[in-house]
Amino acid sequence: MLELRGLSKHFGGVKALDGLDLTVDEGDIFGLIGPNGSGKSTTINLICGVYGETAGTVHFRGNLMNGKPPHTRLRAGIARTFQNIRLFPNLTVWQNLWVAQNSSQDVSAHGFLPRWFGATRRTRKEIARLLELADLGHKGDELASNLAFGEQRRLEFARAAAARPKLLLLDEPAAGMSRQEIDNLGRRIRRMRDSGVTILLVEHVMELVMGVTEQIAVLNFGYKIAFGTPGEVQRDKAVQEAYLGTSASKSRPVDGSA
Amino acid sequence: MDDYVVTVLSNIGMISFIALSAYLLLITGEISFGQQAYFGLSAYAAGAATSMFGLPIWAAVLIGACTAGLMAMAVGALTLRLSGLYFSISTLAFAEMMRLILLIVEVQVEVDGEMVGPDGANGFHDIRWMFERDISLTEFMLFIYGLLALVLIALLLVERSRLGSVFRMLGSDDLLTEMQGLNTVRYRILAAGMAGAIAGIGGALYAHFTTYVEPQFFNVMLGVHALAYGLIGGLGTAFGPLVGVAIDIGFLEAVRFIQGYRMIVFGGLVAVLLIFMPRGILDEERVHRLKALFSRGNHARAERH
Repeated sequence: MLELRGLSKHFGGVKALDGLDLTVDEGDIFGLIGPNGSGKSTTINLICGVYGETAGTVHFRGNLMNGKPPHTRLRAGIARTFQNIRLFPNLTVWQNLWVAQNSSQDVSAHGFLPRWFGATRRTRKEIARLLELADLGHKGDELASNLAFGEQRRLEFARAAAARPKLLLLDEPAAGMSRQEIDNLGRRIRRMRDSGVTILLVEHVMELVMGVTEQIAVLNFGYKIAFGTPGEVQRDKAVQEAYLGTSASKSRPVDGSA
Repeated sequence: MDDYVVTVLSNIGMISFIALSAYLLLITGEISFGQQAYFGLSAYAAGAATSMFGLPIWAAVLIGACTAGLMAMAVGALTLRLSGLYFSISTLAFAEMMRLILLIVEVQVEVDGEMVGPDGANGFHDIRWMFERDISLTEFMLFIYGLLALVLIALLLVERSRLGSVFRMLGSDDLLTEMQGLNTVRYRILAAGMAGAIAGIGGALYAHFTTYVEPQFFNVMLGVHALAYGLIGGLGTAFGPLVGVAIDIGFLEAVRFIQGYRMIVFGGLVAVLLIFMPRGILDEERVHRLKALFSRGNHARAERH
């Protein structure tokens, strides 16, 4: 499905990502974790084409994606959400989902007139379904900027789903969520996968990552330091060191207040 | 109506085109200081069409709009990859370049024993279509407002369409628009072309209304005003810039005690509005609430299916 080979991104002298190899199989929920600044977001930005890579390749469903702009990659089936919620605040909730409809996946349903001057009945139905799934059924005519935080997160997720992606990149979708919202999110992610979408999840909230993913890769300082099932990764020595430090003697608290 | 009122109303109508032109770019997030160039270019092209080549007025307007639109797309293709301030500066530079070129263009032909055509710094005289056809000022004003209505309806249709949403998306988040599978550069060039053509219609009308155009009229102040109209009137609907024009030319021009201080009052008004209503009187939020009052909206329609 997704194959990264030797993927690197350097910003001047800073190696944000260095020689990452990663294979995500179709139908997986794949976790990508690591401390802050370890290269997770950079990886997502490279996969969907926001950055150009310094070295290495991105293959998606067998096609080389290097050099292709984000809109081409979306049409090929790579959608994403953002770490900081990004919506079109001046459009209504309904319009946010309308513009996200990915015509390249379903050309027959989008003639010129319905595509540009009014959604087809089928598109309307699809948008109504997405609104319902996101518990935003009664908010369709609201401006996106008027939604509450949790609603905006759900809309962002629904919008990514509206593009009918084959691969969905989730960049810290649980940030700022309550425990119950995280549970709901986990269910949404699984339901999405069951509908045939492969998912790459970048996340700090470990309950979510350990709960939904089947494979996890761990990054630190731009390198992949571990790979395996959630259980294997949790037991991994290098991972524990990356998250917790090397040993107690080297990181003795300097003052008592810590 | 006396000629003065007709002239003021006609001016409002013609300036409205360039206001709509700047507005269209404003909603896509581009601040252009150069829309006067397309207004002026089209004034010359359309003026030449009737006075030098004897074409009918509708052909002249069409030629003017197409010339301006194509030029705007060409300029857009070169400059729209620049972002923000750099784009704004390049539009200004291009417009000034245009104006200076028009100052040296001398292409005259003999029509009925007289030399007609652009005459460099002397401007372009004798665009006499209105006199030759014996068209009254009032008739021409109706023609102006007829075309303005057509453009306005077209813009309102665009705003209802997906293209309208795409333009607003470009204005709020370029990367996110790209992430919806849309080629942002292509849509920006399209918007630039449409905006250029709209300014062009105004310019073509202007040349025939005044019978005389000179490069000096298409200076940067015209472009700055065009921008201000959208910012005053509001960026939530195409009616916004028209409100802006009406306030400036209609109200400020008409109220006697402001006369002479018009530019000062206008500048102050822009400053005050930008502080309290950064996206104008009819901004998106107010337009949305107004719409909600009058209709049940897309979503309600969807649910009935």
